[in-house]
Amino acid sequence: MLWKTNDPDTKKILYVQTHGEKDPERTATPFFLATAGAAMDNEVCIYFTMNGPQCLAKGNGEKIFIPRKGGNGKELKYFIDQAQEIGVRLLVCQPSLDLHGYTMDDMIEGVEMIGGAAFNDMAVHADAVIAF
Amino acid sequence: MSDVIKEDQVLDCSGMLCPMPVVKTSKAMKELQSGQVLKMIATDPGAPPDMEAWSRQTGNELLRSMTEAGKFIFYLKKK
Repeated sequence: MLWKTNDPDTKKILYVQTHGEKDPERTATPFFLATAGAAMDNEVCIYFTMNGPQCLAKGNGEKIFIPRKGGNGKELKYFIDQAQEIGVRLLVCQPSLDLHGYTMDDMIEGVEMIGGAAFNDMAVHADAVIAF
Repeated sequence: MSDVIKEDQVLDCSGMLCPMPVVKTSKAMKELQSGQVLKMIATDPGAPPDMEAWSRQTGNELLRSMTEAGKFIFYLKKK
């Protein structure tokens, strides 16, 4: 079981991120919703599949910029750091690494790899699964 | 005239946007002892529904939620 909590009162939320470099404006939201979820004492993971692993590739956090009307845009790294700091776990899907020619060495610190069976197991045991 | 609530700590989240007020509140509450009260000040318009949800989910009681001079003020009691 990939969920860590044994406390029945702790809710488990699984986010799924499928977007990457091509859609910078779709990259930050899963991180900050996950951060808010963790700040509410839930156990929170984000699963990165399809183009999602691009968000976690070394150097991309600095490269992907989330624009905002009127300025004040931010680098994706700000949202990734915020999520990791509060205990959100970042999981990648193995075939999606292959899709982009990545190995785990290309991923930032703290990223965990899981497969399709593990993902489905997490999904059926989660209290909520939210996909982007 | 309502009773005065005495806070043990003040957290000013003015100018911060979602999810920072929630994150900072969560961190600040972890530093408090059970029964102590945190006064949190925010300007994010999303803060009132967010703090209500945060309180319901975490079990830390929202003693009072009010608006003063354009700022949202929350008193949260550590469970």
